[in-house]
Amino acid sequence: MSAIATPLMKRDLGLVGWQIRYEQRAYWRNRGRGVFTFVFPLMFLVIFGALDKHAHISSRGGISYDTFFVPGILAYGVIATTFVNMAISTAILRDQGVLKRMQGTPLPRWAYVAARIGSTLVIVMLMTVITLALGAAAYGVHVRASTLPGLLITLALGTAAFTALGIGITRFIPNAEAAPVVVNLVILPLTFISSIWFPTDGMPTTLIDIAKLFPIRALADGLQYAFDPRTVGAGIKGQDVLILAIWTAVGIFLMIRFLRHPQGEVR
Amino acid sequence: MTTTHSQNEGLAIEVRDLRKSYGEVEAVRGVSFEVGRGEVFCLLGPNGAGKTSIVEILEGYRTRTHGGVRVLGMDPARGERELHERVGIVLQESGVQSDLTVTELVEMYGRYHLRRRPVDEVIELVELGEKRDTRARQLSGGQKRRLDLALALVGDPDLIFLDEPTTGFDPGARRQAWTTIRSLCDLGKTVFLTTHYMDEAQHLANRVAVMNAGQIIAIGRPEELGGRDLRPAEIRFSLPVQWSLGDLPDIPCEQRSLESDRVLVVTREPVVAAQRITSWALDHEVDLGHFSVNQPTLEDIYLELTGDGSRDQAEVHSSEEVTR
Repeated sequence: MSAIATPLMKRDLGLVGWQIRYEQRAYWRNRGRGVFTFVFPLMFLVIFGALDKHAHISSRGGISYDTFFVPGILAYGVIATTFVNMAISTAILRDQGVLKRMQGTPLPRWAYVAARIGSTLVIVMLMTVITLALGAAAYGVHVRASTLPGLLITLALGTAAFTALGIGITRFIPNAEAAPVVVNLVILPLTFISSIWFPTDGMPTTLIDIAKLFPIRALADGLQYAFDPRTVGAGIKGQDVLILAIWTAVGIFLMIRFLRHPQGEVR
Repeated sequence: MTTTHSQNEGLAIEVRDLRKSYGEVEAVRGVSFEVGRGEVFCLLGPNGAGKTSIVEILEGYRTRTHGGVRVLGMDPARGERELHERVGIVLQESGVQSDLTVTELVEMYGRYHLRRRPVDEVIELVELGEKRDTRARQLSGGQKRRLDLALALVGDPDLIFLDEPTTGFDPGARRQAWTTIRSLCDLGKTVFLTTHYMDEAQHLANRVAVMNAGQIIAIGRPEELGGRDLRPAEIRFSLPVQWSLGDLPDIPCEQRSLESDRVLVVTREPVVAAQRITSWALDHEVDLGHFSVNQPTLEDIYLELTGDGSRDQAEVHSSEEVTR
């Protein structure tokens, strides 16, 4: 593919790069949000790891609990740093009028959105690296070379779906104060039936069937599949990939709908 | 620089029969005006008169229902980047990325523009030098407003929109803001200002358009608005009880009256009238109390135009006593 980069395009890509730096600076300076989206998952990693030392999951052929919860917490970490972070920060930026202000500048809207997403990618990658490093060092849960394709595909699709959904859901968040409530109302109940914290193998099938429709379970299950020592092949679970792909499409649709909505027009 | 856009280089803004409806409510009802380059134009009116609707249509934030609008020769509804390059906007209330410092923000917003002013120069212009490393979150209300101005100026715009730039300021901060805004005029910028403070319009604007209920009801230079310069002046003083109106000398005036001990003289020749009265008083050793000469203020004209005692009157007030 040979893209013809015009000088303007080059300049705009440079602006995206600068904007990512500013977004990063702002993110790490805000301790409240940093704790909420970044430290939370890592805290759970340490707590859950301490709770079930050396436990095994009989419903999954006796695999160690560690190989279940490290990818589970990783799924939660991805959701926290993309969906939760994006939804709350976008609602704040909208309510404070920052989005409106940005709309009045020569920075193209796509470039600003790209930078916000780019900055989120930096955070989610860092979260992934720390979680996997901690998982390997403290719990002996190692990334398997053979299932690496499955791990990466699931991570990439999960990140795409939850980032887009995080921006898209802002349309349904009435105001910034309501954002953490709305976001947790959407996320928390689903995490309990989606094999994030503990295996849901013995749960009523209705609940499991409901969970299977949503991307949280698909992300957790896909990652857990890639870490499961019994998995043969590339670690790609078709059903999870399909669900994540569908939700990515839904997320992009909602995201575009939100972004098309002019910030100045009276709602 | 491109010169393809503008048909009329002399005008910064042209508005023809502009209308804006929100559902059933027509907030702007057929407004037309022009703003020349380098002019400070003020839209004055009570809250809810339609000022913000107009300014946000000009800024490209809102769509219009009807009419023609050109800003620097371009249609703001099309959201052209070239227009954003040349226009600076201070919105009524809008936040910034509050975890970044003043310097970082001015630098960041400056990067969006091809043409820009040096960061330090802009920070000095709005007198935030001592706060340059302070995060926006920690600035006071007045400092945030000055930061707003800095972010609008860093792109070295030809045209600046200021939507109620000093609302909520104390008198000192307002004076300071006025000085800064006047310095923009010295730089040759066109300034489009909205306010509901009469004295602000008086101090800053070359031309004022008074709005009420979605329409422009008067437009002109502040000193001429509503024929203000042609109105008679009022001389007031109190007369000791032993004197009556008939004792006063011949004064050129429209009307003179005495109510208890207060005399009111309405005259088109205030200098002559005042001179006659005061020299008569000195000659006869009459002690005139509370002597004052008043031209109708912009506020008087404004209240007259918008209808004295209307619903809007309570919302319109002078930010400071106008003393002259």
